Amino acid sequence: MQLQTAFFVLAITHASCHLAQANPAALRINGSTTVNLPVAEAAEILRSEAQLAITIDTQGGSSGGVSLLGDGRIDIGMSSKPLSQTDRSRFPKISFHETRIGEDAVALIVSKDVWNGGVRSLSKLQAQGIYERRITNWSQLKGPNRRVAFFNKEPGRGTWEIFARWLYGDPNEAPAAAFPEVGGNEECRNRVGATRGAMSQLSASWADGKTVFALGIEVEPGQTVRPTPEALADHSYPMSRPLLLLTDGEPKGNTKRFVDFMLGPKGQQLVAKHGYLSLEQLGRLRSSPSGRGSN
Amino acid sequence: MTGIRALETESVQAQKLARRVSLTQWTSWVLCLIALTSLAALVLVLIHESWPVWRVAGIDYLAGKQWLSSRHLFGAAPMIYGTMAVAIIALGCAAPIGIGAAICTSELLPRRARLTVKILVELLAGVPSVVYGLLGVLVLRGWVYDLLEPLDPLSGDTLLTGGLLVGVMILPTILTLSDDALRGVPASLRAAARGLGLNARETICRVVLPQAIPGIIAAILLALGRALGEMIAVFLVVGRQDNQWPERLWSVTPLISPGQTLASKLGGSEIHIAHGDPLHWAAMVGLGLLLLGMAGGAAAAAFLLQQKQLRHAQAS
Repeated sequence: MQLQTAFFVLAITHASCHLAQANPAALRINGSTTVNLPVAEAAEILRSEAQLAITIDTQGGSSGGVSLLGDGRIDIGMSSKPLSQTDRSRFPKISFHETRIGEDAVALIVSKDVWNGGVRSLSKLQAQGIYERRITNWSQLKGPNRRVAFFNKEPGRGTWEIFARWLYGDPNEAPAAAFPEVGGNEECRNRVGATRGAMSQLSASWADGKTVFALGIEVEPGQTVRPTPEALADHSYPMSRPLLLLTDGEPKGNTKRFVDFMLGPKGQQLVAKHGYLSLEQLGRLRSSPSGRGSN
Repeated sequence: MTGIRALETESVQAQKLARRVSLTQWTSWVLCLIALTSLAALVLVLIHESWPVWRVAGIDYLAGKQWLSSRHLFGAAPMIYGTMAVAIIALGCAAPIGIGAAICTSELLPRRARLTVKILVELLAGVPSVVYGLLGVLVLRGWVYDLLEPLDPLSGDTLLTGGLLVGVMILPTILTLSDDALRGVPASLRAAARGLGLNARETICRVVLPQAIPGIIAAILLALGRALGEMIAVFLVVGRQDNQWPERLWSVTPLISPGQTLASKLGGSEIHIAHGDPLHWAAMVGLGLLLLGMAGGAAAAAFLLQQKQLRHAQAS
């Protein structure tokens, strides 16, 4: 019995020591599901090629990335929205450093029946109408006679903030609206695809054109802009956003190694592979003669 | 002399045994104390962290129907309603099936078949809830959506979907614990009932079931505890829509609409926004305290009932 007790105590001590030392040097990354796609693949490559220990998660989306970095519980936060002043003031001890690894657009997506029913674009006013529940049936927008099932991205998700900023100038100005909520990009696409009359906001590269469809934005009467690379580069599409890696101060050590990899040719290839605009594509489009803007 | 020596040796051995047992007792006490201290610390931390919202909102935190974090309005009533609705639907589905199946396993099946069924059911209880959640997304959500088509639901994510899914999840708990409660009824009572001329059905309904009732209720309450606290599976199919307080409390419409439970709210990303805003953070932690109170209350009631049945069984 004594032996068993001693063994038990030993086992507990051993387990707690083991837990305390669990991979202390691992590079911890968390945040946006949009940025996660290329970053997770890069992590896979660095794990096998450079034997870097990396843990990666998408808990809480962009706001999860910001707050966990603010708490010092991760080394790199992934964010699909620019940092706001509120974010910075919440964590005064952290000197947030943004590294842009690419560019993406937020698209308004609809389910197949809405798309086939003839709704191909929305104006800002119409989108506000849906968000404020003044438009509740697609027939009000010359679409099919079906209720609008609007799925809202959780507040704090980068996608939602970009959408709310476009509609109301500031996410804090958005009216308090209760809609069914969706979290990550997979969930959003899955839910909109499986629901009749559905609409939501989603990273444009996730709109596959099979189950969910990206609407154009009617910026002026009769002038519709679609979330194409060109429209993103010249800012004619209103909901573009940077894909960011956030660190506390300038990246150092393994963090720098990872960030450099994402900025290098292999990392940038991964960004483009997942349908986002790489920095090189962005630069080329902006400097090309056909580019309408040159900022 | 040999006899005395033998006696001395025995008494030394007995003393050694007593010391060993006392070491075991000592370890048990320490471990028990650790468990109790952790629970007390957990409750104290939750109360401490959620204190600002109780101070600012008071009873409105429980009774308020609006949760608008941007305006610092924190009313948890719709989430308490959602949690109760999901749990009641789950129990409504799982309790009759579970108790019926338990009567079958404990009273009708031969011993070997009973053990096989119990092992299979307990295996079901061990399936991680995220797997149930995925099945909910892949199968149940579409099924509920199509079934409710005549009622024109907004989507397949409803309180009903969450309730049905949790019902499947708690079925093993109800079945296996009810089975134990029924088996706990002394065989002498069954023999006496048969001896008085009651047939098998009458023995079960008139003698065994009434005796096992406290144990069965305890099984239901333990299942309720799990149903209240279930997060990930409910999170995936409940719709997660805030402020869904029903106009009429017993109406069916809110049950076929999306809703929010305490656990699904805590599982979302709002906790990350709340961080840094003391009142918002307190409101989120307060939800945890409410959930702990509800699930803990159900578990405590179950424990008391189980004790009651145990005393009852010992007395008879």
